Amino acid sequence: MQHPPDVLVQAIRYDTDVISARQLGRKRAEELGFSRPDQALVATAISELARNIVVYADQGEIELATIHQPDRVGIKITAKDRGPGIADLESALADGFSTGNSLGLGLPGTRRIVDEFDITSSPGLGVIVTVVKWSRR
Amino acid sequence: MSELISSSIAEGSGNLDLEKIFRWFDLTEEDRACTVELGELTDDVGEHIIEAFYAHLLNDETAARHFRDDAHIAQVKRGQMRYFRELVSADLNDAYVADRRRIGSIHERTGVTPTLYIGSYAYYLNRLAHVVLERMDEDPHKAFHLVMSLFKIAHFDMSLALETYVDAREEAIQARERELSELPTPVLQLRPGLLLIPVVGTLDSHRARALTVQLLEGIQEHRASAVVLDITGVAAVDSAVANHLIQTMAAARLMGALSVLTGLSAEVAQSLVKVGVTGEALNTAGDLQRGIEMAEQLLKD
Ligand SMILES: Nc1ncnc2c1ncn2[C@@H]1O[C@H](COP(=O)(O)OP(=O)(O)OP(=O)(O)O)[C@@H](O)[C@H]1O
Ligand SMILES: [Mg+2]
Repeated sequence: MQHPPDVLVQAIRYDTDVISARQLGRKRAEELGFSRPDQALVATAISELARNIVVYADQGEIELATIHQPDRVGIKITAKDRGPGIADLESALADGFSTGNSLGLGLPGTRRIVDEFDITSSPGLGVIVTVVKWSRR
Repeated sequence: MSELISSSIAEGSGNLDLEKIFRWFDLTEEDRACTVELGELTDDVGEHIIEAFYAHLLNDETAARHFRDDAHIAQVKRGQMRYFRELVSADLNDAYVADRRRIGSIHERTGVTPTLYIGSYAYYLNRLAHVVLERMDEDPHKAFHLVMSLFKIAHFDMSLALETYVDAREEAIQARERELSELPTPVLQLRPGLLLIPVVGTLDSHRARALTVQLLEGIQEHRASAVVLDITGVAAVDSAVANHLIQTMAAARLMGALSVLTGLSAEVAQSLVKVGVTGEALNTAGDLQRGIEMAEQLLKD
């Protein structure tokens, strides 16, 4: 259960954890030199994924990792939970689909504001969402 | 699994899966059998160790502060004897867990720090281990096994106490959060027909409903037709929070009041637009001053 030193993990259970994860992400983005709008996008993506964990899976975690490449630097956000999972991923990724009587924008919106987006889920086994946001140097 | 261990599992154990925890600590029926063998020895030397332990403890200023007088010390010593007797011989079942948690929460409440707690425990185990090795010098191998079994159970025991520390803190944070969320949101009348509502904290569905009720009552009471919702104090605005705000503002509109949202930073507002949030929720005016001006304009129209 060791993480490399630049990996941050925030357990997600309550709304206050969503705020903590979001602040961690924004701070990391700032440290890495992301522009202010991009910092906000990182914070928003974390917020959406963490909020889904609180609302639909009860608990899980957000992991933030830094990716260094010669010409760019990235933040990889991994949201994991062991909740009920998503039966129909295609619907869940469509604008406006919500089983929670909300806007249904969290997943598709996050996909729009990041550079790489990957989601896996099996019913009963939870959800793993991995996204990357890059910043040019 | 030992009888004592498995019987405790059969009883069911609330939200603790004891069997899993025992596996994690590699705690087996053999270990318990070993420490039960230590029972007599701990009774025999326990008092002596505890005396030494209190001498050690009272030497430390911070630790000594926990004791009022000699009678109090005597009482705590008796409790300590019982604590360690149970450590070697009590059934590790739900009742044991509950009792350990109870003691843990007393420690937490009275300010016994994890350092003090673990340090004390280590001191006791260390002393006891030496005594065991001395008394069983004809069979050091066996002595070692007994001590290692005792250590396993002691670690399990410490984890129970420390979990209560974490739980207590978590509970305190949640309680404060609840208190905050149950504070009525102030509805301020800026001038006839114009309300200002500062929203602070988190905005989950429960709080959003409460906010909506207060807003609607405010509109009715003040016959308001314009509302400034200031969300400077809302820490994380995302699509779920936007949804709550949209619902709240739509309800206000049904009551005949138009709303202006303020306190959303330009960057966050932009992010929300990219996520796909549109419409009235983002009919935002950066700062409060602008928001009030916009609302006054709405009043005139
Ligand atoms: N971690 C998760 N576990 C189980 N189901 C999920 C999870 N995340 C999303 N879902 C499902 O996918 C749907 C779409 O999620 P999305 O975040 O896009 O919208 P939403 O949460 O319903 O609304 P919004 O995010 O706009 O408030 C959810 O309604 C829910 O059914
Ligand atoms: Mg969502």
